Amino acid sequence: MLTIGDKLPAFNLDAVLADKSFGKVTDQDAPGRWKVLFFWPMDFTFICPTEIAAFGRRNGDFQDREAELLGASTDTHFVHLAWRKQHPDLNNLPFPMLADTKRELSTALGILHKQDGVALRATFIVDPDGVIRWVSVNDLSVGRSVDEVLRVLDALQTDELCPCNWQPGQETIQVPR
Amino acid sequence: MSPLEAVSARLPEPARDIRLNLQSVLGGSTLSPVSRLTVAIACAWASGSKPLARALEAEAQASLPEPEAAATIDDARAAAALMSMNNVFYRFRHFVGKEGYRERPARLRMGRIARPLTDKATFELACLAVSAIHGCEDCVKSHELTVLGHGKTEDDVMDTIRLAAVIHAAAVGLLMTEE
Repeated sequence: MLTIGDKLPAFNLDAVLADKSFGKVTDQDAPGRWKVLFFWPMDFTFICPTEIAAFGRRNGDFQDREAELLGASTDTHFVHLAWRKQHPDLNNLPFPMLADTKRELSTALGILHKQDGVALRATFIVDPDGVIRWVSVNDLSVGRSVDEVLRVLDALQTDELCPCNWQPGQETIQVPR
Repeated sequence: MSPLEAVSARLPEPARDIRLNLQSVLGGSTLSPVSRLTVAIACAWASGSKPLARALEAEAQASLPEPEAAATIDDARAAAALMSMNNVFYRFRHFVGKEGYRERPARLRMGRIARPLTDKATFELACLAVSAIHGCEDCVKSHELTVLGHGKTEDDVMDTIRLAAVIHAAAVGLLMTEE
């Protein structure tokens, strides 16, 4: 499984976008922003809509932190659309659902369940340079906490960037992007 | 009469020197128009004067082309808001000077500081000016060094501090005219 410091693999996947149209989502979209990429095992199952809807309700909190939410499973984009239309909690989902039908991205990330062949409940926080900064993986039956993802994102983004942090004797101020 | 001229005209007679200074610091300066207005707007917000800040923002919109005008206003507001936080926080650390407080992480978001929309030197001038208003010795010293490191001169710094002083005084003067 890929981990902290690894580069997010390149991808170009079919997706159901927020407005329920079909489109492509790639790793190059939204340059300069953070990505929160999360997988669930299968569409039309029970835990999934709860946590996907929970991510959707907090989309504004992610936007405030300059982060794009990307949801994904190994189902096709047609199944994603059917699920969006069928489930009231998913009807107004504000982020795209990616279809990793060929399992290329989930294989590259190393998050396929060894027996069932579907994606584990994996969450990746990726920084604007495409570097994985946080990984969490739950077994198929365990839901996730959106608050925890936001807490980690906050912590990753909280740097002391101000020259006010300058201390006597320090010659230059490091200002990371 | 522009919004800025209208606000300036409201400064009461005891503050006449401030009215005249306001015209001169906003007029000629070694600073570029973008830097001058970014500093001025940040200082007006940091001094708590909504009428002055709004009038200066209108001046930026009237005198600068887009997208410079929008960048100027956004950077000024960011500098005023973020330095209002950082000056309190770091001033405390500097005042007390204990290693224990210096070692503890700030746990404050300040990512906007690293992403100026105008340019780094302009944003740092605004940070310097707001720090001068808030009276934080170490913040002023460190931002002054940063500004010079980004190609500004001591003349630019002097003009910036002159702006901070006059804008702050104008904010106080305008308080006297409020209902």
